[in-house]
Amino acid sequence: MPRNVERLGTAAFRIGYIAIFVVMLLPLGIVVATSFSASGNLQFPPQALSVQWYSAFFADVVWLRAFDNSLVAGIGTTVVATFMGITAAFGLEAHRGRFGSILTPIVILPLLIPPVILGVTLLVYFSRLGLRSSYLSIILAHSLWATPLVFFVMQSVFQRFDWQLRDAGMDLGANPIRVFVHVILPNVKSGILVSALLAFIISLQEFVMALFLSNYQTQTIPVLAWNSLRQSLTPIVSVVSTFLILVSVVGLLVAALATNIEFVAKRLS
Amino acid sequence: MSEIELQNLSKSFGDIDAVTDVSLSVRDGELLCLLGPSGCGKSTTMRMISGLETPSSGTVYIGEADVTDQPAYDRDTSMVFQNWALFPYKTVLENVAFGLKMRGMGKQQRRDRASEMLERVHMDGYESHSPTDLSGGQKQRVALARSLAVDPDVLLLDEPLSNLDKRLREEMEIELKDIHEEFQKTFVHVTHNQDEAFTLADRIGIMNEGRLVQVGEPNEVYRDPKNKFVEEFLGDTNFVSGTVSDIDGQYGYLMTEFDSEIRVPVASETQPETSLTVSLRPEFMQIAPITDSSNRASHQTRADGNGGGGVSGTVESTIYRGSSIRHVVDIGGEQLFVEQGVTDQTAIDEGDTVELRWDVDDILVFRPDGTRVRD
Amino acid sequence: MSVDPRTTVLDRLWSPFEGQSGSRRSLLLMSPLILFELLVFVVPFLLLVRISFSEQSQGLPYAEGTFTIASYVQVLQSELLQGIIAYSFKLGIIATLLTVVLAVFYAYATWRASGVQKSALLFSVVLPLLTTLVIKTYVWVPLLAPNGTANSLLLAVSLVQAPLQMVPNTFGVVIGQVYIVFPYAMLAIYSVLTTVEWELVEAARDLGASRTRSFFAVVLPEIMPGITVATVISFAWSVGAYSAPALLGAGSDRPFALEVQEQMLVNFNWPIATALSTVMLVLMFVSILVIYAVLGRFGGDVANAT
Repeated sequence: MPRNVERLGTAAFRIGYIAIFVVMLLPLGIVVATSFSASGNLQFPPQALSVQWYSAFFADVVWLRAFDNSLVAGIGTTVVATFMGITAAFGLEAHRGRFGSILTPIVILPLLIPPVILGVTLLVYFSRLGLRSSYLSIILAHSLWATPLVFFVMQSVFQRFDWQLRDAGMDLGANPIRVFVHVILPNVKSGILVSALLAFIISLQEFVMALFLSNYQTQTIPVLAWNSLRQSLTPIVSVVSTFLILVSVVGLLVAALATNIEFVAKRLS
Repeated sequence: MSEIELQNLSKSFGDIDAVTDVSLSVRDGELLCLLGPSGCGKSTTMRMISGLETPSSGTVYIGEADVTDQPAYDRDTSMVFQNWALFPYKTVLENVAFGLKMRGMGKQQRRDRASEMLERVHMDGYESHSPTDLSGGQKQRVALARSLAVDPDVLLLDEPLSNLDKRLREEMEIELKDIHEEFQKTFVHVTHNQDEAFTLADRIGIMNEGRLVQVGEPNEVYRDPKNKFVEEFLGDTNFVSGTVSDIDGQYGYLMTEFDSEIRVPVASETQPETSLTVSLRPEFMQIAPITDSSNRASHQTRADGNGGGGVSGTVESTIYRGSSIRHVVDIGGEQLFVEQGVTDQTAIDEGDTVELRWDVDDILVFRPDGTRVRD
Repeated sequence: MSVDPRTTVLDRLWSPFEGQSGSRRSLLLMSPLILFELLVFVVPFLLLVRISFSEQSQGLPYAEGTFTIASYVQVLQSELLQGIIAYSFKLGIIATLLTVVLAVFYAYATWRASGVQKSALLFSVVLPLLTTLVIKTYVWVPLLAPNGTANSLLLAVSLVQAPLQMVPNTFGVVIGQVYIVFPYAMLAIYSVLTTVEWELVEAARDLGASRTRSFFAVVLPEIMPGITVATVISFAWSVGAYSAPALLGAGSDRPFALEVQEQMLVNFNWPIATALSTVMLVLMFVSILVIYAVLGRFGGDVANAT
């Protein structure tokens, strides 16, 4: 008898988490579905299917320019964030000093500040420097979010690395940079791949800071999507969203293959 | 009344059969050890007794009651875990009082009882400590007190001593035995350590590959193992394989790997040409130096008609193991080992020619499938 | 004698580090990030605070070189702005409570799952986390609209007689915001949960605790650090929510992020925008301290555990 009560509890538990699972993924599925809608509104399920909104996307120079802008911002952020994140994590792992304990909280802090406040702050600052609406301003802003993720991924990668290998390399007379390139790098490259992917995805998807820092010429895809949504709900936004979701899915699969999804998931928190 | 009765208990996890058709009775007040290598299903069997695992089929009785469908928190069993599973965010006292709290006992009452239990395991004075500050042996005692505090019908111990070093483990073995005698409860103790099982158990149940192979008193399972697995698992022994060349009443002659015949007890149905494996336990063999040089080259079996048997060979190595000396003897390319007490005055060195002798009736004989050949 | 060109480059790269002590070396390695945080984070915030003390100006975003606390007085006295701040906090508290409860549940389910199921559950939070806010917000419009999917379902099973008004209003904003912050909260809790020994739960059940009871008695105190982080993240981001209120909210209920954006980009009143931002940062900082103090009492404190 009591076992039946337990089974009932188990069933309720299962229904609960399956419901959350569906609610988490269904909206993204709907976005993809509406991108194939034949009509001009965002109805789900769509009445008829077509790829007309995909043709519309590829015919629109404004969207294509936004696509280029996103690419520039994404690659720039990846380079900046990966470089700073790796060097800092390596420095911290090689020697834990006074600066290490100050660095970590400062690096986390931007993640806790609402993006609107960050946007306002950086807009004020970059205007002062004459960098308003430049690619550089967007890249630096996105690096504020991407670097901590690279930093934490690389920190845990370096922690798992067998440092005796480094000592062995040093012992054989290689200088530390050569040891890094020839001994450490081959062992941590999947970690670097994952963090670079994360940095790129963060930049590609971020829009509040970009909204403040870009103009008509430099706006990224999420910013343009947002601006066109404010006017009307057009399925072309679903097309763009489908691309963005696709990039994340592919990036996530690559990252999961390079390490595993649990590792990626834990580093994101 | 707190005897345990398992009837045809099976448990599978997906495609893996962890436990297959185990039937076992544990008597009231008995200390039964479930012994076996890791992955043999002993822990799963215990977890089914505790209710932490639901059997795929079969029935669990505790006392008169069928508890198969009772979840763990409804059963009057209590388990001591391998890693002790002490709640890190509670004090030692709160850990011990936890089960009483769950049973709705008043605060003062459960504190008193918990203190009493801690005193019993010599952990008084540690009431307000955090379990994370304790040593392995101390954690062990607290875990024991926590389980005893709820006054369970059955105490289940899941390899609780395996994380302790040898000395501490032996100390705890004695203490567990004392506690068992004092509390008069049914204990089921799971272990992969034979010494631990022999020290503690009233009876031992030996498991292998999900099945219960043999149950019996320690000396019974040791002297009369049911099959080759039990013989191998319970202690170090020499297995020698061969083919039966001749039968002579209750004895047969086995042509062995070391190219000499030895006399072994056989069953009436044993035919010539069958393959058999015999176990020559080191403690059943005597070692003696051969001074007669004419005997040197001969590895001949000596059948002197009075049930004795033996071979001769050269001592290859000698290892001092504290209370005993182990000699590895080379016999025609095969090795046998034998033990000699340190008090034994006969000096035997590497390179000496020796004779190994035994009583033929001490030899255990197994078929190729591992079953015993009995007369 | 041939020289590997790669080798010489690497040797030259090392030269500035040559002869430095270990701590110096690691400081050099950390310096790009330290410099970056200083120039792109610390200095901009000092500038933000400085501008919030400037006089408002008609033609320019702010009057340079002036000093006044007028904007703060305005922020703290205006009923409109007080309402906006209050609404932000209301939104933050509701969304945080919902998020954390759901996140604990889902993290627990993921912890207990194994194999493909576990990967699927993790995927279901990581993918939305890596999807732009824009999508995560606007997708709720067709879902929650009066003629949208949710209403069609509710009408079909006769749970409601007439379509529910879910957007644009606070209900929709909360749904959208919970959807946005849930993945972060769930992962923060999950990563702490994975360090908990399942045997502790078994021990509690074995000692007579029911499932719910063993969760509250054993698991909850252990994952309190994760819950605290989840609460802080959910709260900070929900108070500062921008996209969900902008797209799913009614115009009358405005959180501060929308107000700041309007003052900044539409009215060009930078002193007000920056003063409001500073006030919100201070209030949020104080709230986060309170959250830590309150939640810290439950986890890890041995004396309060019984």
